[in-house]
Amino acid sequence: MTSADTFPVYLSLRVAVTALLFVAPVGLWLSWMQARKRYALRGVVDALILLPLVLPPSVVGFFLVVLFGRRGFVGPFLEQTFGVRLVFTPAGAVLASAVVALPILVKTAQPAIESVPVELEKVGRTLGLAELPLFFRVTLPAAWRGVTASLVLAFARALGEFGATLMFAGNIPGRTNTMPLETFAAYQAGDDPRAFIYVAILTGMSLVVVVVAARLSPRPALP
Amino acid sequence: MTHPALEAQLIVRVGKGGSAFSVEADLSLAGGTLVLFGPSGAGKSVTVQALAGLLRPESGHVRISGETMFDSVRHENVPAHRRRIGYVPQHQSLFPFMDVLGNVGFGLPRAERSVGRDVALLMEELGILHLARARPDDLSGGERQRVALARALAIRPQLLLLDEPFASIDHDGRAALRASLKDTLKRRELPAVFVTHDPDDAIELGDSVVRFERGRTTESGLPRALLQRGETVILHGTPAGEPREEEGGRGVLRLEGATVEAPMGLLEPGDGGKVTLTLRTRPRARR
Repeated sequence: MTSADTFPVYLSLRVAVTALLFVAPVGLWLSWMQARKRYALRGVVDALILLPLVLPPSVVGFFLVVLFGRRGFVGPFLEQTFGVRLVFTPAGAVLASAVVALPILVKTAQPAIESVPVELEKVGRTLGLAELPLFFRVTLPAAWRGVTASLVLAFARALGEFGATLMFAGNIPGRTNTMPLETFAAYQAGDDPRAFIYVAILTGMSLVVVVVAARLSPRPALP
Repeated sequence: MTHPALEAQLIVRVGKGGSAFSVEADLSLAGGTLVLFGPSGAGKSVTVQALAGLLRPESGHVRISGETMFDSVRHENVPAHRRRIGYVPQHQSLFPFMDVLGNVGFGLPRAERSVGRDVALLMEELGILHLARARPDDLSGGERQRVALARALAIRPQLLLLDEPFASIDHDGRAALRASLKDTLKRRELPAVFVTHDPDDAIELGDSVVRFERGRTTESGLPRALLQRGETVILHGTPAGEPREEEGGRGVLRLEGATVEAPMGLLEPGDGGKVTLTLRTRPRARR
């Protein structure tokens, strides 16, 4: 395999890992908020979290362009202030992957956090833990199976992201051509053997994810 | 001047909409163990959680050994994690992801957790040292509550709160746990608040008792005086028919769904044909 062949593999892994690094803290915080707090806009936040899951990925990509594009609402600000350009860059692919991975992460982690008995957290508080240490020393260890499953599924979703990435980051060989995009490009060009390589890699990784997630799925509650 | 171990006057509102209810509690404890006694849903657990800082009262104050933990007028509220109050809840209280030793040392600074001499002594005192490496799932109900007690005591609390800790323990186990708890508290001269609806718990452990009914503290006193004197019941209404005369000047009457036997003179209707009887029930039998 040439470096042009292996580039999409490395890029995809790099994009998925980076997306996970960004989406994990945000997603776990949102999961905790939705699981434990009752506030006025909870329903609205819930809907916004779910939106990227139900919208067609191309629509998500369109929203990203409208927001973060060079003539978007936030894009010019990011470019002028921080010198960061997202559209048609690997960073844009990371953003697109993170946005579509968020709902899967939250919707898997939230029930895991909800299933942690509130009594455990109450005891943790009386044993000297403030909110953040309480999350890391009580809530997270007690919900680790579901939370790990949520991270694995979010990683898989980020790895397989296609539509939003195509819209927002484009399919630029050697720059933003992740495995799903390269599969599509190779198939369109009639290069089925090349498409098959990425199909095999993505299928293998997805199988591993499915097996791991199944093993981590919640066991029956203890009496 | 020595301060009372606990002074609290609280109004706590819980829930929203139709399921909302409020609890009003007035507690004071010079030292020893204060029992909060009453039926389920009377507001005992809510009160204990407000003392621990786990629920924020709407108004009132909580002072522990003279130190203000909560004061609605002065806008003071020490968060639960800074109150140094030991808390043993009814169920589900051990951390399932660590062994017994990890649970007992959980509230200690990292350095003390690893040294563990005090922890080992405490576990020996409560008879759980041999379980140090056991997982919470493998323990009996009584063992779990001993571990929960050890964990609360390990942080050297200034007050211990026990919320029906024996609720899921059988009768024999309860007696053993009660004795063990009594010794432990006495040895440390540790003031405690103990929630129960079992009069045996209240009489064995309590130095004083406060009765809760429908979200209010209704009376307080010494456990034996309060829990062994019986209840006052007033029957007032129009009797179902005339009293039936029995031997010795006594009569039997149906009143407000109850059949009452009493001297005939008491069963005569007053103004408007109504009868009023003030009865006292028998003291609760000791097991």
